[in-house]
Amino acid sequence: MAGGSDAVENTGLSCVRCGKPAHLQCPKCVQLKLPREDAAFCSQDCFKASWSSHKSVHSGTKPSSPAPENSSERNLGPPNDGWLYCLRKGQSRTPKVPHFDWTGPLRPYPISQKRFVPNHIDQPDWAIDGIPKIEPNSDLQHVVEIKTPEQIKRMRETCRIAREVLDAAARIVRPGITTDEIDAVVHEATISAGGYPSPLNYHFFPKSCCTSVNEIICHGIPDARILEDGDIVNVDVTVYYKGVHADLNETYFVGNVDEASKRLVQCTYECLDKAIAAVKPGVRFREMGEIISRHASMSGFSVVKSYCGHGIGELFHCAPNIPHYAKNKAVGVMKAGQTFTIEPMINSGVWRDRTWPDGWTSVTADGKRSAQFEHTLLVTDTGVEVLSARLPSSPKVFPWASP
Amino acid sequence: MEPYDDEEPPLAIAIDDVVEDKTTPPSLVEQRDNLRPDLPEAQPVGVTVITGYLGAGKSTLVSSILNGQHGKKIAVILNEFGEEIGVERAMINEGEGGALVEEWVELANGCICCTVKHSLVQALEQLIERKERLDHILLETTGLANPAPLASVLWLDDQLESDVRLDSIITVVDAKNLRYQLESNHDSSSFPEAYNQIAFADVVILNKVDLVSSDDSGVALKDLEKDIHNINSLATIIRSVRCQVDLSIILDRRAYDVTHATHLEALLKENRNLSTSDLHDSGVRTLCISEPKEVHLEKARVWIEELLWDKKYGMDVYRCKGILNIGNSDQLHTLQAVREVYEIVPTRKWRNDEDRVNKIVFIGRSLNEEILVNTIKATLCNP
Repeated sequence: MAGGSDAVENTGLSCVRCGKPAHLQCPKCVQLKLPREDAAFCSQDCFKASWSSHKSVHSGTKPSSPAPENSSERNLGPPNDGWLYCLRKGQSRTPKVPHFDWTGPLRPYPISQKRFVPNHIDQPDWAIDGIPKIEPNSDLQHVVEIKTPEQIKRMRETCRIAREVLDAAARIVRPGITTDEIDAVVHEATISAGGYPSPLNYHFFPKSCCTSVNEIICHGIPDARILEDGDIVNVDVTVYYKGVHADLNETYFVGNVDEASKRLVQCTYECLDKAIAAVKPGVRFREMGEIISRHASMSGFSVVKSYCGHGIGELFHCAPNIPHYAKNKAVGVMKAGQTFTIEPMINSGVWRDRTWPDGWTSVTADGKRSAQFEHTLLVTDTGVEVLSARLPSSPKVFPWASP
Repeated sequence: MEPYDDEEPPLAIAIDDVVEDKTTPPSLVEQRDNLRPDLPEAQPVGVTVITGYLGAGKSTLVSSILNGQHGKKIAVILNEFGEEIGVERAMINEGEGGALVEEWVELANGCICCTVKHSLVQALEQLIERKERLDHILLETTGLANPAPLASVLWLDDQLESDVRLDSIITVVDAKNLRYQLESNHDSSSFPEAYNQIAFADVVILNKVDLVSSDDSGVALKDLEKDIHNINSLATIIRSVRCQVDLSIILDRRAYDVTHATHLEALLKENRNLSTSDLHDSGVRTLCISEPKEVHLEKARVWIEELLWDKKYGMDVYRCKGILNIGNSDQLHTLQAVREVYEIVPTRKWRNDEDRVNKIVFIGRSLNEEILVNTIKATLCNP
């Protein structure tokens, strides 16, 4: 965010025309209650110079301005070489940045073309037309499955692959690369291992993993935005292999991040750790929310309530639902042989979320940062086995974690 | 709108002049106020589920609510298409003459399983957000629907601070045909609809009472009401002709609101035995048990969970409502359950003049009073 002048309070808005800090706005836009970001100007001169193109916003015909000239986006070449903005959950694309009352500094960037999956890879039913058919109609949405030893064996193997794919992504995270490049690595690593990247085309999701930067809570879509020094980014990987899914995610530091972000990420890591430590037969699913919520609020953070942990196995998402907030009415107790994820999303500010026009990206309602960690777990007779656990070969990206 | 020359821009105004302060972003509660400025603190909108056989009079009820002169703005979601199509049709009585406006509510297709809120809830929230003011929502179900899944979906955790809250389930029954429907379903395990719809109801509208002969001085109707109460003795029965009912009785019942006084007081004062006779072994009926001594909260939880989640002792509990006398607490606790979803929450302080007691009403099938009375003793603080 540009630092404001000392004399006048920083509004946080940039001039639509030149990018300098803005302290003036178009009165017509105020009257029409149009988004402030498109109506901000540093001076009457810039306003006057932009007027002929700006005024079409009032009649709703102009798309909002694209990223300013010193763009933090890859030079895509005209006309973007097929890179477009995502809409309607991935069912359509547009060359224009959609309108939205953005909650923080982040904006969507164009996304690349759909990646190819070779025919020999075993694919879930949504790979073809974007619509899962088996999953929503399965009994496993109501009953928590006890996995057979054979299924557990497959899950261990798939979780191992998913862990290695995530580690491959972690290794390339640094300032200067795009989230699209992370997606390319995830996609290639998954295919090379013989797996299918489960998110790809799941309810039309356009990419092979979710990359959630800064104020994005989850389901961020990999795009042309370049990661900046100081960002935090979550990479969420799910692999489908030998008929079962494995789901895990981690939040990484991009270059040097501020203390507040470090605290947020570490607290989130600990929330998951503490929840996992309590997993064993007989424990209620609703207890996870109590543990996570208690630890988060001790550090002054809030817990996202819209998304929850879920059963996993031959289905990507199934029973049980595991909310991460306290005082929830989740049904059931843990039993040996169950496999599910716990994936707390913890926010610096408020817990509320909003969804971008792409239909997927969930952001904090106040634009402040959010972090997440996730594991796929197996309940054993005496406790828990973290199927997606870090390996000795996993990159050492968390200063507090034991090697 | 002042006519200015569109060629020349107006004078830009300073940003500090505007009310909305982006530097301290509003929480979503405040944003909600911006959308519904007439309410000081927007209350969640009540949702009433209306169920009942085809022809019982559901549509008439809905129609009379939409067209009535009550000054309330009500949206009716007609559950015609089900989720396959992904949209629901809604009729709202907007505007000054109470003109009916048709709206489409789009159900979000999507990651249904890692989102906490069902797509129907999200769609209702979006509808509320779009409208400047909405006083109530009616959800009309198809004729044979079991309302239980809908109730579980709509009975949200308080923590979610949703704009939507489940207000009650209303079943419309046809007085003329009810006896037949109950008897043809009396092996209620194979065709349970009539029993389910009554068992889960908070209000039963006994409609078409004019069609039941009046020459037996109302005995037939009284028998029907007895039959209904045999299944669910907690339900309020309202007699009606052509579904003309007083709106104030149907709306804002707060049947799932733990703090709502009326239900608690009624339960506490209820002296007559709410337990009903077992018409058939597999019949749906109501059972009420009472236990004066204090129970241990954690043991009470386990007891309820074994009944609801494990179907222990072979009992199939549909609904459960009760007051608990929890040890080491000065708070009266309330128990509420729909199928497997339940909660026990502290509600208010016991009053000095009150007899502290546990009183629990079960509605379900294959209920066994003896087992319930004996097993609750295992939860006592001092057995």
